[in-house]
This record gives sequence, C-alpha cells and structure tokens, in this order.
Amino acid sequence: MDRKRIAGLLSSTTGLALTVGIAFVIVIILIFVLSKEPGRAIYYFFVGPFTKSYYFGNMLNQSIGLIFTGLGIAVAFRSSTFNLGGEGQAYAGAMAATVICLSLPSLTGIVGGTAAILGAIATGAFLAGLSGFFRMRWGTDQLISSFLISAAVILIVNYLVTGPLDDPTNSMLTTARIGQQYQFLRIFKPSKLDISIVFAVAAAIATYFFMQRSHWGYEMRMCGINREFSRYAGINVAKYLMVPMAISGGFHGLAGAVAVMGTHYRCLKGVTAGLGWNGIAVALIAKNNPVAVIPAALFFAYLDAGARAAMLHADVTFELAKIAQAVIFFLVTAQALYGFFTTRKRVAA
Amino acid sequence: MEGITKFFAASGVLANDAVDLVVEEGEIHAVIGENGAGKSTLMKLLYGLEHADAGEITFRGEKVAIKDPFVANRLGIGMVHQHFKLVSDFTVAENVVLGSEPRARGPFIDRRSAVRDVSKVIEEHGFSVDAKRKVQDLTVGQMQQVEIVKMLYRNAELLILDEPTSVLTEQEIESLFNTLKNLLGRGKTIILITHKLEEVMQMSDRVTVMRDGKVVAVRDTKDVDKRELSRLMVGRDILLEVDRKPPTYGDPVLELKDVTIRCRGQGRPLLDRISFQVRSGELVGIAGVGGNGLAEIEDVIGGLRRATSGRIFLHGEDVTALGPEPLREVGLAYVPADRLRRGASLPTTVRENCIVTKHHDFLRTGILQKRGIRAFTERLIEHFSIDAVEGMPAGNLSGGNIQKMILARELAAETDFILFSEPTWGLDIASSQFVYEKMLELRQRGAGVLLISSNLDEILGLADTVLIMYRGRIVGRLENTESLSKEIIGEYMLGLRDDSQSPSAVASAEGSRG
Repeated sequence: MDRKRIAGLLSSTTGLALTVGIAFVIVIILIFVLSKEPGRAIYYFFVGPFTKSYYFGNMLNQSIGLIFTGLGIAVAFRSSTFNLGGEGQAYAGAMAATVICLSLPSLTGIVGGTAAILGAIATGAFLAGLSGFFRMRWGTDQLISSFLISAAVILIVNYLVTGPLDDPTNSMLTTARIGQQYQFLRIFKPSKLDISIVFAVAAAIATYFFMQRSHWGYEMRMCGINREFSRYAGINVAKYLMVPMAISGGFHGLAGAVAVMGTHYRCLKGVTAGLGWNGIAVALIAKNNPVAVIPAALFFAYLDAGARAAMLHADVTFELAKIAQAVIFFLVTAQALYGFFTTRKRVAA
Repeated sequence: MEGITKFFAASGVLANDAVDLVVEEGEIHAVIGENGAGKSTLMKLLYGLEHADAGEITFRGEKVAIKDPFVANRLGIGMVHQHFKLVSDFTVAENVVLGSEPRARGPFIDRRSAVRDVSKVIEEHGFSVDAKRKVQDLTVGQMQQVEIVKMLYRNAELLILDEPTSVLTEQEIESLFNTLKNLLGRGKTIILITHKLEEVMQMSDRVTVMRDGKVVAVRDTKDVDKRELSRLMVGRDILLEVDRKPPTYGDPVLELKDVTIRCRGQGRPLLDRISFQVRSGELVGIAGVGGNGLAEIEDVIGGLRRATSGRIFLHGEDVTALGPEPLREVGLAYVPADRLRRGASLPTTVRENCIVTKHHDFLRTGILQKRGIRAFTERLIEHFSIDAVEGMPAGNLSGGNIQKMILARELAAETDFILFSEPTWGLDIASSQFVYEKMLELRQRGAGVLLISSNLDEILGLADTVLIMYRGRIVGRLENTESLSKEIIGEYMLGLRDDSQSPSAVASAEGSRG
C-alpha cells in the first residue's frame, strides 16, 4: 500500500474505528500481562460503565464538562486561533461561579444562578480574549500567551481556594458550599448526572448552527481556512483573532461553572483539573465538528468510567487503568491529529 | 505509453481516455493542451504519482510497471514539477542528494562528497548555482536549475518538465532553453508540457496535442504552425484579436496622487510617487516585469497595504487609509493575481466563495439564508458558464473555472471601478478570451477598468492607456495607438526608455530631497 492510500484510510471514519480497535487490543494484552484475573478486569474495563445505573449516570455526567470544553476548542481551532489555556479558564470560571453564588445567598436560583453562569462565562472569555487581543495588537503567539496566562491563573485560584476563601469548617481544600437553590437538578439518582447535560447537547447543536449558518460563524470559518482571502474580501480579520478566543474561553468558563453547580457544589482545589487538556483531545477526535464533540466526549468519559470500574471490581491498579486509558487516547488523538495537520498543510500549500 | 486510461471517480472526470504517447530517444517532445486536457495526469502516470486504470507503459523496449517515483527514478525517468519541491532551509547540495545521500560512516551523511558530486553535475552541465548556497536565497530560475540537477544526479535519461516557463522571467526562459538544448546534446530525452505555443515552435522536435483527455494530433514541429496548433488545442479557430470599440471617457473613478511605499531599511521605495487616473469608460493597463512594483500597486489599491505617503481617491472619496471592507463599500471590485490564495478559498464550497464579499446581503437576523445563497450562486454559475456545482469545494475546479468564479463574484458587485491583476496568468486560451470579453464589456458599460499585467499582448490588445512600471516608478505613459508596439513597451519595461526623468521630474525630486 502506498502512503497516500494509508493516509486516506487513516483519516476516514473506518480508520477511526480501526484505531480504536487496535487500541482496545493493546489494552487487553496489557491487562493479560499485568492482571491476575484478566477476564474480570477486561469485563469491568469495557462493560463496567453499563453495569450499574450509578456508573452509567456518572459517566454521562463526566461528559458534560468535556462537551463544553470540547466545543470551546472546536470553535477556536476552526477559526485558526489557538487556545491552550483551557485549564485556567475553566478553573477561573468555577471560582467565579462559586464566588457569585456565595455572595448572593438570598436570591432565587434562577436569577442568582444565571448571574453565576454569566459571570463564569465572562471570566473565561476575558482570559482567553486577552490572548486574542495580544495577538491582534502585537502579533503575540496565542499558544504561548494563552498557556502562560492560564498557568498564572491556576495559581491565583489555588491561592483563593486555600487562602481567603477556604472553608474553615471543612478539612478539605475547598470553599464553602453554594446555596441549595444554585445546585442543579439531579435527573438520574443516585448518580450525579444533572440537568445541565441537556444544555450541553443543546449547546453543541447551537454551536454547529452558529458556525455553519450565522454571519459570525461564516466569517470565522473563512478566516480560519484562509486569512489572506478573508482580508481581501473585506472580512475584519483582526476581530476574528479575538472573537473565537473569547467564545472558546466562555465555553471553558461555563464548564467550570457546571462542575461547581452541577456536581461538586463547591470550588475544590483543582476542581476542573484535566477539563482543559481533555477538551483539546475531544475536539481533535471530533475533528472540530461541534456535533461530533458529543460522541467524542462520551467516548472519553466512557474510558474513564471503565477504568474506575475496573479498579473497584478487579485487581487493576490506578497506574494500569491510567496506562490503558493513555494508550487508547494516544492512538486516537494521534490519528485525529494526523488528519488535522494534513488538512492544515494542504491549506497552507 | 499505450492505451492509457485514467478515471477520477471522485470528480467523475475521465482525465485520460485511451491515450497513446510515443517519445523517441534524444528528442524534445512537447505535450500541449489547454488546462484540464489531461497532460499533467498523463505525466503523473508516467512518473508513478498516479496509477492508470488501463494501458501499458513501455520504456526502452521493456514493459514496465511504474508504481511510484522511486521506480521511475531507477528507470531513469525524472520529473521537474511546476511547483518546486525543495527544502528552503537546505543547501543546494543537500536538496539534490535528499533521498539518495552518500553515506559516510553509519547513519551520517557524507556532506563533503555530496557537495563535490553535486558541484560536478552543476559544472558539467554549465549551470550557475553554487552547491553550498541555501535554496531560500536562490531566484526562481535557479531553483528550477536545482530541480533539474536533482534529476541529473539521479542519472535521469528522460526528463519531464511540467510548465517549466510559467514562473520564469524572459532571461531565465532563455537560459532554460539553452540548458535543454545542452541536455539534448548529451543524449537525454525531454518531455515538455506547456500551453505556450511559442515554446513549442522554438524548442520541440515533435508535438502531441491533447484535448479533453484524448490525443488529437501528433506532428513534427517543423510541419505545423502556431495557428494550426492553436486550432487543434481548442478544437476551433479562435480570434486572438478582440473587438475593442473606440473609448468614451467620463469622470475619473480612481485617482492616485504621489503614492509612495517605502520599506524601512530599504533605499529604493517600492512605489515611487505613483500618480495616475482611471476614468469611467477607460481601460488602463499597467505593464512591467515582476518585482518592479506591480504587486504593490495591486495591494495598495486593494487596501491590503497602506501607502507611506500620497493619496488615493475612489469615486471622488479619499480612501487612502481605508482597508478592504470600507473600500468595497465605497465601490471596489478586484480580481487578484494570486487567485488560489487571495482570490479563492479552495477547501470551502463554491457557494461560500461566491458570497464572501456580499454575505451581508443574505442575512436575516444574523442567519445566512441558504436558499437565497444557493439561488445566487447558481445564477453566477449559469451566467458565467462555470463548470461547477454550488456545493462542491472550489479546489475541485480547474484553474480557468476558479478564475471565472472569482470574476463572477467580483462582477456581481456591479461597481464602477474594477481592478484586474494578472487575470489570465496560467489560463488557457478559451478562458483568457472569456476574461477579455468581460473586461471590455465592463469598459463599454462605462466602468473604469485597471489591468495590471506582465503579458504585453494583453495590454496591447485591451488597454486604452498604457502605463509602464520600472523599479517602482511609472516610466512611460502612452496612448495605445497603432504605432505602439511590444518592442517599445519592452524597452520601457527593461529601463531602456524612461520618460519620468524629464527635467521637471528631476527638479521635483531634487526639491523634495532638499
């Protein structure tokens, strides 16, 4: 087979299925080598998340944040802007939502909750928008500026969680609990799945329509594909160095808010850790298609839930679970990245 | 090559339909045809970049299966692509040996012998490049030499050159042709793909004419003339003369006053006090050799580059400081020279390409109205007879159809000023003709048309007023009358004539310095 055919195969959907298959086989081999009861371990790794409604619900719940951050990354990448600061934006969003909820203890859930969510979105949008602004104004590299801003923000939020806002009545490193009225409705008890999954799915569909059909979405995509062409045609390209970043940051902030108001009810230290990076992986698997972000996030959450179940019910250690997860993810994202970079190269050529 | 057939299922194109091509050892064989006639596909099959659906290739009496370029190289077949495939950070020698490097010990490359071997090849064939220079410092002509050296280093006996002159200046073309003759003298065989008849007549021994994926004629070059070849290529007689009615001028639509672009750290300004007008009903042609300011004029009028000093007026409005968006609102339509990067977005659909300058018209509460967009695009496709479907990626279109699409979009704005920059570069005769007719139609309608072109036939055939650029200045302003010839314009273009150095111009230059 020549390279072109292999490339074509790899970037097609059958290629994705094949990659997942290979990854699963590797994981099974790993488990056989490292586990004393491989049958049980494999069973729980792959089927575990479906054995109990508790596991299943938690799996769905975990996908919510990933959908939001995945959407954020997809919008940024589609527009050829680069947001590597998702971690900090989500964490700051979680903190902003918590602070707003805590400082408005007597409002109704709808009013205060909306304020908290908007505050979180604004916080994330501001942080990411800053990188966009820097690039617009001085041509600063967005990958670096967004990452560095995020790294600093994480430290600041850590300080707030463990310092001024630490809840002294609790031995954990966390803020106080937000009011009952701000806690999202749980829809699949006893699991932690809450109502925000509906919003997540709606957001994915809305984002798809926004990118495909709206005026801004069209201009953003055009800038993403060919900035020279867009500038020539009279699209304000400078604006679209910032707008997609702000939208991306907004989604990350929202993910942070949902983590607090839907799942944890407080801003724990590192409450959103991983959401930012994993959002990038999710967007890559979804090839930056907002609707495909949903299954990609579910897949990610499924792997995580499987690893947890296998740890709980078999002799799979934390390390093995993480390695297995990493193998699958490594292969899948590598394959998705391959497609991402070959299309980008074609555009550049 | 016998009975070669290639079908592209994805686009439904039968690129080669039972094509026979016989090239004899030691000849220069030209393969000509319009864009999309199947020349390039045929050559890709020969070089192993594509695989034929049917037919066979015989090389030096033996049937061969060329499954990839490595096999082609081993057989002694080399190809110089239209777009060079060189690593710009590498030296000439490194580029040449890439893929078949002389080894020192273990995994290391023997750089010294690489330079020595490559220098030897360069010397033997009388090339002028230095094996130790980096490719990024070379001129386009030199890069092409490197590509040829690459093939010779691999002992190629049959060289395929795909549109080798399209990127070269006149002098470089001259030197390329000398090289080819030299190679012929050493017993090499050359296939020259082109659609320039001049080159065929000048260089080739025999010529194969392709049209619509088929071979329509094989002739000895000495037995044909350009007129016959052009008839064979397009399948009908075409008038190279266009019907240009006498002009009627109105008010100026575009005016440049002393527009200057200066780059920091560069002595000579890129544009030096450029002043001219385009009146309504007038077609102004700006001629010049590349690198003398043509591209800068395009950019500055298109609003993509700010003038350092001077003023630009469009429809009487001072637009000096405006970017592309407000300029289009004032009334600018513009067909850029770089149509693949600037003029079109290849991965997106034809539809999205067509609406890019006027998508605001299709908005209803922030949402793009799909039905209206589709109808609009289909109308453009029909009016301009573009061979395309509105939902297909623009990149699937042929070069001529991409240009038609750009033209359709820009003309749809119905502005009274239109800028064309190198509008027929790389287009075949029929597509060029189409572009010319549209330009004259606009002029007839009373629009002001500015044509920037390095193609003198085009300038002479279309323009009412001819401006000639040399080193960033307008050195000649001429009415296009019967007495104006290519030779005269050529002398201006090469700096042999210069009207701008009249006493008054010199005086004002001195004045500004003092």
